[in-house]
Amino acid sequence: MKRSVQILLSSLCLVSASAGAFDLGELKGKVDAAKASIPSVNPKLTEAVKELKGPSESEEIAIGRQIAGNLLGAAPLVKDDKLQKYVNRVGRWVATQSERPDLPWHFGVIQSEDMNAFAAPGGYIFITLGLYRTFQSEADLAGVLGHEVGHVIRQHHLKILQQSKLVDAGSKALSKSVGGNDKVQQLIGSGAEIVARGLDKDAEFEADRIGVVLATRAGYDAYGLPSVLQQIGHAAKDDDRVALLFKTHPSPENRLNKLDASMGDRFDRVKGLTLEKRLLKVKK
Amino acid sequence: MNKHSGWWVALMLCAALQSGMALAGEAGTMSKADEMKAEPFRDAKSVKTLAVGEKLDILSKQGGWFKVKVGKTTGWVHMLSVRKGDAKKGTDSTSGLLALSSGRAGTGKVVATTGVRGLNEEELKAATFNEAELQRAEANASSKTDAAAFAKKGKLVARSFDYLPAK
Repeated sequence: MKRSVQILLSSLCLVSASAGAFDLGELKGKVDAAKASIPSVNPKLTEAVKELKGPSESEEIAIGRQIAGNLLGAAPLVKDDKLQKYVNRVGRWVATQSERPDLPWHFGVIQSEDMNAFAAPGGYIFITLGLYRTFQSEADLAGVLGHEVGHVIRQHHLKILQQSKLVDAGSKALSKSVGGNDKVQQLIGSGAEIVARGLDKDAEFEADRIGVVLATRAGYDAYGLPSVLQQIGHAAKDDDRVALLFKTHPSPENRLNKLDASMGDRFDRVKGLTLEKRLLKVKK
Repeated sequence: MNKHSGWWVALMLCAALQSGMALAGEAGTMSKADEMKAEPFRDAKSVKTLAVGEKLDILSKQGGWFKVKVGKTTGWVHMLSVRKGDAKKGTDSTSGLLALSSGRAGTGKVVATTGVRGLNEEELKAATFNEAELQRAEANASSKTDAAAFAKKGKLVARSFDYLPAK
């Protein structure tokens, strides 16, 4: 029985992966049919099946909010409202150039000397103070935020959850009742571990390409993100501050090579602003 | 070494430390063979061809271009043909990985002597939900209108640009 449930769950997962292209009624029909095909279903399975259809936008935001709250449990915001407001304005302007301008986007700088940035579903994006310190212009900031916006709009983390934890959570739901935030938490593993887990390399390269384009669309110089990658690549690999970043991302060298190949000469005649002077300074 | 030169070394060191992110004099290495141009655009006159691995000094940056100095020649090289540093730096990752799996890892205990706090996997896994901080983060949100006004103030103009192909 357990095995057949798992097979059912994974096949539903496949159905939901292409759900966007289906007529919703048709999809619902399929799910109902699948549910009906199992005799004496545990009521909790119904919930699991619903989750496997892929979360709605509000569920996506709820998942992201839980991850963001956990991340802030590990590293709080830098106590500088001017800086936080500034990063939100730049971030929102960059995100507005994407296909999901109306998500409730949130950006923040967290108190850590690491060099890293994190994205959670639904538009929660955080960069570390250590990374912020490497920026030389607003265009650098815009490029990095653009990369993270890329993860959100292509739902990279959500896809990971759907591939792994969700099935797991679904089978847990069969035996155990969980509620409220606990349920979302069960979905995302423990704490903010999802952001410590690497995405696959192609997701990172894709986010790099998106970051460069969104910054360009926003009117910035396209080379902000590559500049930051240059800076990070310059940091020694045995520097603690890049340990997690290097563990979860392809090397900056590799990312720059990929960007070089994709960007080619497309940006040769595209001028943009760097806004060095507007980059908000932070205390040492 | 006399007293005076000692002072000079100290002064130079101070200046070097303070200059921080300034590009002037930063070392770079060619990551692929490319032309050095007289001006920062691709169809500008070629000054010379630089080989992969060639060392240079980065003087400044303009868009996708670095103004560089190789020997006595100055010109422009495309930024993505250059990697900062002299390429040999930090090839040994042992201490980084060791550092990651030691210290506070596992116990969740913060060792007071650790100078620099690093966000590691264990710490993120052990993190607990902080509603107050999250609400602070949410209170700083910028609306589309607010962000657009801020962009306008910086003379940023939105434009269309296609996504890039994967290569």
